[in-house]
Amino acid sequence: MEEQKDPAPATQSPLPPPAAPQPAQPAPRGAAVWLKAIAVLYALSLFAAFAVLSRTDAAKKAQPKDMDMSKIAGLGKKKDSVAVIPLYGVISQGASSRSWDRGSQQTAKRIKMLAAKKEVKAIVLDINSPGGSVGAVQEIYSAVLKARAEHKKPFIARFGEVSASGGYYVAAACDKIVAHPGTITGSIGVIFSVANVEGLMKKIGYKSESIKSGKHKDIGSMTREMTADERKLLQSMIDDSYEQFVAAVAQGRKMTPEQVKVLADGRIYTGRQAKENGLVDEMGDLQDAIDAAGTAAGLGKNPQVLSDGDPLENFFSLLDTKLSLFGAQAVADAVNPAPRLEYRWSGR
Amino acid sequence: MNALTSLAALLERPETLTAEPRPAGLGRAAMLGYAAGTLGAFIFLRLFSAVPPGVLSYLVVLTFVLAANFLFAGLTHLFMDLTGARGAAGRLFLAFGVTDYFFALLVPLAFFSKLGAPGAFLSVVLVVTLVVYARVRLVRRVTTSVTNKALLSVLLPYAAFCALFFLVFVYSIAWLIWLVV
Repeated sequence: MEEQKDPAPATQSPLPPPAAPQPAQPAPRGAAVWLKAIAVLYALSLFAAFAVLSRTDAAKKAQPKDMDMSKIAGLGKKKDSVAVIPLYGVISQGASSRSWDRGSQQTAKRIKMLAAKKEVKAIVLDINSPGGSVGAVQEIYSAVLKARAEHKKPFIARFGEVSASGGYYVAAACDKIVAHPGTITGSIGVIFSVANVEGLMKKIGYKSESIKSGKHKDIGSMTREMTADERKLLQSMIDDSYEQFVAAVAQGRKMTPEQVKVLADGRIYTGRQAKENGLVDEMGDLQDAIDAAGTAAGLGKNPQVLSDGDPLENFFSLLDTKLSLFGAQAVADAVNPAPRLEYRWSGR
Repeated sequence: MNALTSLAALLERPETLTAEPRPAGLGRAAMLGYAAGTLGAFIFLRLFSAVPPGVLSYLVVLTFVLAANFLFAGLTHLFMDLTGARGAAGRLFLAFGVTDYFFALLVPLAFFSKLGAPGAFLSVVLVVTLVVYARVRLVRRVTTSVTNKALLSVLLPYAAFCALFFLVFVYSIAWLIWLVV
């Protein structure tokens, strides 16, 4: 039971003094001592860290800025070499400015870049192409001529399986052409091809109409028969392009245009036939072409070859291939029915 | 009352963290916590050559830490407020400062890391875990909420930042591809 306490009589004791304001309660000593110990340890570790850091920084500052490269001098120096530039497939402008896209502009840029490199003493164009559009072929041709004129470096063309039409046009700009005896080459000429789907469209009931500013504005249209006037116009265009081709071959092969025209009726040749006709200089493979380039550049046979390929570009190229439906775009481009003026052998 | 005494008092009587008016010296103790913790982290990073030397470099890191914690305290408070818990953002900021003392542990850990064990990453993970644990305990006390809610509120800003970082990363990759293609 709770004890009952009587109130104390007023007379027994005086009133207690009024309570003084409570001072701030001091922190118990236990935690403070531990904290002080931790603070001392922290200070010590900081001191040690600063000592280490100052010594490290001093050592870094004392290090000579110019590294002693004597032991690895050989690694820094780039060896004289022969660059090999591949030119495979149909030559076209390329659908984008992607650096890994092997369009004519990228190939021309590559030729310019490699020709400007000091360590590159000669360039081999590894051609395996049936040609391509006139503008794209001429872009590469022009890049080779400019690089030769500017840097005075030998250019060797090497033919693989096929190097016809536009592929040969590009090779004509080189100092020497090396081909396999069985290489398909030649096909010097121009072609303008256009599909006519008029009959098909009539069958399916599709009609196309064009409103034009001039009578030839829809020249090359697939939806109607070509007129005689149009045929004449296109023929003159083709003749002009043909003359350009002949002039390029004549200039490159040190022949007269008349001599070239005898060979340039569009026919194809084997590598051996081409050599007999003066269109090719030597029979051989890629290594022979590299050796020829090394010899022409004064590097001798079996020179160091500069691999043409940026790892990053190769990676993006791979990604691009995967993203483009495993090359479906390239197939679509190849079968594109749109009319084109081409230095191209249509056998491939 | 110096910062050390205030900290000792807080350790002995954690309930003073929520006391009104604010206990004397709490602000100083918290700010010293930020400074000491950041110094610990800065020295750790310096020992691994991850930050440039100099007072200015330290001040940049300190400013970043203060800004991040200010934001974190605000977000934690916002979350707590929205979910019905009571508390004050200012107190949370100070509580976070007190927990930052644990980052001082990174200095001795850096030496051990240089010796091989534990690794630098593990050291950071250990200390961050310790800091998060301490923060959860303090948030729970400041906002009088349950542990899980406090844990969620403390981790929420980190999660938001991770998500933001991930978004920025994905956008950067997309932008890079667009730029190159």
